[in-house]
Amino acid sequence: MKFYLISLGCQMNVSDSERVKTMLIQMGYTETLHEHEANILGIMACSVRQKAIDRIYSLIHKWEKWKKSKSLITFLSGCILPVDKEKLLKRFDILFSINELPQLPDMLKQYGITTPYSVAASQDTYDHNSLAIKIAPQKNSSQNTTNSISATVHKDIAKEFWKIPPTYSSNYTAFVSIQNGCDKFCTFCAVPYTRGRETSRPSSEILKEVRILMQQGYKSITLLGQNVNSYGKDTNGKELTFTQLLAYIGNMAEELQHDCWVYFTSPHPRDMTREVLEIIAKYPSLAKQIHLPMQSGDDKLLIKMNRNHSMIRYNQVMDEIKEIIPQATLFTDIIVGFCGETEKQFQNTVEAVQKYQYNMIYVATYSPRPGAASARWEDNVPLTIKKERFRKISALLRESAYNYNNTLIGTEIKILIDNISVSKKSTSNPKENITKNFSSDSQNYIYLIGKNEGKIPVRVVLTENALQNKNYNDFINSVIGNFITAQVTGTHSLSLECTLEHIPTSFPHKSTNSGNIQKNQSSSLESISFSTESTCLK
Amino acid sequence: MTNQTSYQTLRHTLVHTVHFVRHLTSSAYIVRCSRGHLTFTPGQHLSVGPKNNVNMREYSVFSGDKENFLEILVKEVENGLVSKELKKLNPKDEIIIEGPLGFFMIEESQFEKPLYMIATGTGIAPFHCFAKSYPNLSFTVLHGVRTSDELYAHQIFLNDTITYIPCLSKEPPTIISSTDDTQPTSKKHSTTSFQGRVTDYLKSIEIDREGIYFICGNCDMIYEAFDILQQNGVSPEHIKAEVYF
Repeated sequence: MKFYLISLGCQMNVSDSERVKTMLIQMGYTETLHEHEANILGIMACSVRQKAIDRIYSLIHKWEKWKKSKSLITFLSGCILPVDKEKLLKRFDILFSINELPQLPDMLKQYGITTPYSVAASQDTYDHNSLAIKIAPQKNSSQNTTNSISATVHKDIAKEFWKIPPTYSSNYTAFVSIQNGCDKFCTFCAVPYTRGRETSRPSSEILKEVRILMQQGYKSITLLGQNVNSYGKDTNGKELTFTQLLAYIGNMAEELQHDCWVYFTSPHPRDMTREVLEIIAKYPSLAKQIHLPMQSGDDKLLIKMNRNHSMIRYNQVMDEIKEIIPQATLFTDIIVGFCGETEKQFQNTVEAVQKYQYNMIYVATYSPRPGAASARWEDNVPLTIKKERFRKISALLRESAYNYNNTLIGTEIKILIDNISVSKKSTSNPKENITKNFSSDSQNYIYLIGKNEGKIPVRVVLTENALQNKNYNDFINSVIGNFITAQVTGTHSLSLECTLEHIPTSFPHKSTNSGNIQKNQSSSLESISFSTESTCLK
Repeated sequence: MTNQTSYQTLRHTLVHTVHFVRHLTSSAYIVRCSRGHLTFTPGQHLSVGPKNNVNMREYSVFSGDKENFLEILVKEVENGLVSKELKKLNPKDEIIIEGPLGFFMIEESQFEKPLYMIATGTGIAPFHCFAKSYPNLSFTVLHGVRTSDELYAHQIFLNDTITYIPCLSKEPPTIISSTDDTQPTSKKHSTTSFQGRVTDYLKSIEIDREGIYFICGNCDMIYEAFDILQQNGVSPEHIKAEVYF
């Protein structure tokens, strides 16, 4: 029996889908990447953009057709607006909020599928492997809304969800969910209506998961939450604060002598404290990269967006970042063309962008998101102006990122390698003296693709000297998911080019089953893909 | 970083029992329900929805933080998924409440400063909560509505500690007085309304640059008030706004 699961939207959904996979695998299913092979078809939905909703309808339309000729079960979870839930409930066999994931075996059992797990699940209380689920099966699906459950049960369900270990999609980079939901109610965002209120995962579970990841050698660990730095505020002091959590993790890396980068996303400027920044500065394992969403540089627009902070506050945090972690790369989110955004208001954003010289900006042209408060307002900035503003911000980003990248030329940087790129030929090599490298196919060049600590994409070219090294093959076979150090020899606006002269003499051998070798015909640095989605634009 | 006041963050999602729905006008009403164990800081809001209905909406707490019930002030919205349903509630019906939420609160450091509350329509709700919760707190309230019947529960603002300025855009200056018959005549208060919008009033006075301004209501009013205050030297850090939509 096979399952096929597609995840739409942000990293939170990717993280949640790793737990859904665990449940299905523990029930005896195997994952397939080919939907036509699957007996169970699932979608982790995203309600943030209409495009994602359209995709859900497109997929279920196809699967409904398949159901006429074969036995299939379809399910939907993730971010779903209440109004969409009602409509989609009719189309999918199973629809559940992610906190109800522990009940998936019961739900599947209702469809007559018998697995070792679902047999065990027939008892009110059961324990299967590492899962300890103590939630009575719900008999009436109409009761499956958070609206009709008490706080105690709600919290219990959330806690049970987090006890499900994720099936990580990589063996060197992992997302660790620490918080779910949102209490901020930004007017452009529907997350508070799809994921509910902020709920913090028990600190002990987070620390346990992070420890295991470190012990298993994970190099990049990202703490995830819709408002990641409001972690713990909903627990009335029963869990660690976000600052304390980071400190524990920093200490843990030191105790285990584990070399890694720990990130977090997405924080809210309102909740960013000096203490958090000081902890990041203190521990080498806490990555020196800060993603602080601005959304707009105009105070009045921030009010309309219900961001609950002024630009004075934002500036204060940014100044403290520059003071406490001057080496940190700076990322932000900006929405251009929000309802009623005037040229003057946009100029305030431009000025802030010029001031802070970001390394990355996730720019979004505003479009109403169903379910968000702003969807009730007129989307009155013409598309041409939105596009023009988008281009303006993008151009400023390219300029500031390029300037920063240039300061790194000649320096040695540490890079976590994600991919090996095989290219037919290079057309954009910025350095004439860089030797092209070749695989066994002499027409191909090989590049190592990765990111530095500041999450700047890096392409590494190997010199002739490195290629001739006797350890070259071993190195190539084990480099994905490991750190290397290389010299910056060139820059593009959003990425770095490095040269590796010498293959490391001692290099950790490691399985690379999660690595990718991409065939990249253009091989241009600008074509290196990186995520353009932050966690729901917080 | 700014010193933020401590505020209630212990969230809950619970079923509350409706005591009654009190209709103030044909479209505005107060829902009173059981308080349960919900704690909040004055100025915060709740996410409220009828039981067995998937939709919820945010409403500022109207009642005081020491009362043993909860009240919200609701304006019925055309085609509203929640406000129309709440209006039909009967005593003993149940509603779902999540919260408390939000940051529209008076910070500790601000209690000693001149406080100005500017509202339109049902945006008066958090200020009503302030008046109920902080009976000795002195502040100024500007409430903009079209006609005097929309000055929801104005009695709370007619006392010795609050300066109450009703602004009526479609009614000539009117004497607004306390209707609390339990008070002796000597204790009764009254005020004369300003004819015009709250922003007209702001333009007509000298703005206190040292004041802390709380603005609650529709976005257009907030924008206009924000501009007036900023043009008169008030720092954006001293302006807090809660957009109603």
